[in-house]
Amino acid sequence: MKAREPAWRVFASEFNASTLEIKGEGEKAPSYVVTPLGAMVNRLFIVGILTDIQNLGTEQEPYWRATVSDGTDRFYIYAGKYATEASSALAKIEPPSFVAVIGKSRTYSSDEGKFYVSVRAEKVLSVDEGIKDNWLLETIRATLRRIDAMEEALQMETPSVQSLVNLGFPASLADGVVRAVEHYQNPDVNRFRGTVLEALEQLLPDRAFDLPLPQDLPSPEEIYDSDIDGEDIDDGEKEEIVLKLIEKLDVNKKGAPLSELIKESAKLGIEEDELEEINNSLLDKGLIYEPTIGRMKRI
Amino acid sequence: MMNKEELAPHVKEIARVLEGRVKEEDIERDLDNYLNVYRMSLEASRRHIVRKYGGDPNALTKGERKTLAQLGLNEGSVDILARVMSSTTREITVSGTPKTIQSGVLADDAGTTVKFTVWDLTKADLQPNTNYLIRYAYTREWNGQPELHLGNRVVVEERPDDEVVVPEGISIPSSGGRSAPQTVKVSGLQDNMYNVTLTGRILSLKNREVDTPSGKKMMFSGILGDETGRVEFTAWEDFNLREGEVVTISNGYVKGWKGIPRLSFGEKAEVTRPKIDFPSAEELSKEAVRTIEDIERTGGAFDVSVHGTIVDIKKGTGLIFRCPECNRVVLKGVCQVHGKVQQIPDLRVRAILDDGFAAMTVVMRKEVSENLTGITLKEALEEARETMDIETISQRFEERLLAKPVMVRGTVMSDDYGLSMTASEARFVTLDVKSEAEALLRKIEVI
Repeated sequence: MKAREPAWRVFASEFNASTLEIKGEGEKAPSYVVTPLGAMVNRLFIVGILTDIQNLGTEQEPYWRATVSDGTDRFYIYAGKYATEASSALAKIEPPSFVAVIGKSRTYSSDEGKFYVSVRAEKVLSVDEGIKDNWLLETIRATLRRIDAMEEALQMETPSVQSLVNLGFPASLADGVVRAVEHYQNPDVNRFRGTVLEALEQLLPDRAFDLPLPQDLPSPEEIYDSDIDGEDIDDGEKEEIVLKLIEKLDVNKKGAPLSELIKESAKLGIEEDELEEINNSLLDKGLIYEPTIGRMKRI
Repeated sequence: MMNKEELAPHVKEIARVLEGRVKEEDIERDLDNYLNVYRMSLEASRRHIVRKYGGDPNALTKGERKTLAQLGLNEGSVDILARVMSSTTREITVSGTPKTIQSGVLADDAGTTVKFTVWDLTKADLQPNTNYLIRYAYTREWNGQPELHLGNRVVVEERPDDEVVVPEGISIPSSGGRSAPQTVKVSGLQDNMYNVTLTGRILSLKNREVDTPSGKKMMFSGILGDETGRVEFTAWEDFNLREGEVVTISNGYVKGWKGIPRLSFGEKAEVTRPKIDFPSAEELSKEAVRTIEDIERTGGAFDVSVHGTIVDIKKGTGLIFRCPECNRVVLKGVCQVHGKVQQIPDLRVRAILDDGFAAMTVVMRKEVSENLTGITLKEALEEARETMDIETISQRFEERLLAKPVMVRGTVMSDDYGLSMTASEARFVTLDVKSEAEALLRKIEVI
């Protein structure tokens, strides 16, 4: 029996942290990206904000690259001539808007040996906020389940698929978890607990974010700014400042020109390097997007 | 992960092909390594090991190697290694012509026994107190137990005395009975199980007369439910069953159709009426929710509810046309059997439901499709008349359904492409996301 590959619910931050691929051998054998929490991803179901779309191909033969932010990071989505349906659907959607994407995992290794994952779209469509919230909830649950499975596996002397299945985990997940334990050595489970909390915060924006975190978990500030170097405690404020600047400089509604933004930020003591990092962080959070290269726009 | 007992028949099989040149412990260690460390498939592992020690992998049996305890009620082609405990040859009459057959009892290392029948003595002639490797045999159910049949495809090879050592003191029943009864819930039933004990309430019951070789006979069928779900049953004897009562059936067996389990019980079975508190018929008729993954494990399910998201819409969704004679879907008014016909319009949805861990196909007939999408057959026909294109209707179905969370109810069967449900009900699910998120947060806070 050859069952259809399930569409995994995985946050972008977990998916993008993957460095393990299992290539199918032989004809039509599926390949998988194994995430640090053991999701064995061949197909994904994603809902987020389409923040950017670019045609890397020609007008006659478009090849779209889109970024979809789920609030934890960005998914890179590709659609070309082998996915005409997804490709033409994508072309019709104006960023920013909520989209659902069903697609297959793809990998790419650079010459320096860096490993990148992306998604080749099968289906793309506009959705409403309710679908996005539902996806967040489902993905939070799925992520927590993987965290559970991973923590169980890490406690075992020799983790095995059978012993995880005996604990009630699905066989597909158990298989991925055992492979992830081996490849990622000691996967940083707490980092993804942080991802879950970020996602929960999206669903409960009114709730003060002072969750009693497990002892060994980094504080929320650390989680948020883990990708920003530096000692600054007022990074959050700086993001606020940059956001306001982007809004102010967006005079013709086509987005704030980057050159202007660099100039204005410098006046406020934010250097270009730092600005880039703040912009990246804002992009990741889905607060801004790049309508065209060199312009930033608030969502 | 296969354990030692499951590995055993394969270790013996590899040892046989290697003609005793390699110790069984070594083969077992290798096999364990290939399967459980390198995660190769069983077939590839067996071939690798045989090749490694200079044997001929083609000499391995192709059928599935099983111990007697692993035999199901309906094996298509199976290989076993066993000792003949008893064997008698007799003549019977098949459709008017006399035929010689052999029957008896086999036993193996574990002390499991099974009854066998040889249908073609030119292919196999089994002598008592002799070990045989029997390849390409099959099993059939008899009184809820599997029986091994050696047909005209069978290949039999006599094996040395020390290869199968039957434990002392096992009883060799004349009927080949074996294995302890197992108590199960409805959601745990799966094809080929036997000697099962199950307690449930009879939710519906009907009887009909059937013709059997021994004359007319009354059989009883209906639906039995417990807190895990509902299952159809057939009783081949009159147990004086009453609709609504709670019964415990022992020594029943399961015969599936396309993976949908069906509980059967006959003259070997016993029905008792336990005095226990049991959910009412009304409660037992409510949605029985199961995950796709769970149904995959049992191969199918009768009347269950499944939650998931629609991630794909398959061809044949939307407005379709059927042949008035055979109900097949026709293309351009031409039925592949009945030629040009006066086609009948119909509405259908074929979608993929996915919960992130597993996926299945869901087929919705007209009423279910109309209810879910709000697009009626009448509207679809009108639209098709206007646009002259039935594709646009499929697209409208896709827009309404894709990426939406739904709850579907129906019977799930399995085939080569996995599970598929014929839905009797379908509805969109809207969650109170905020309160669900609060609940999750509380759960995390407890850590």
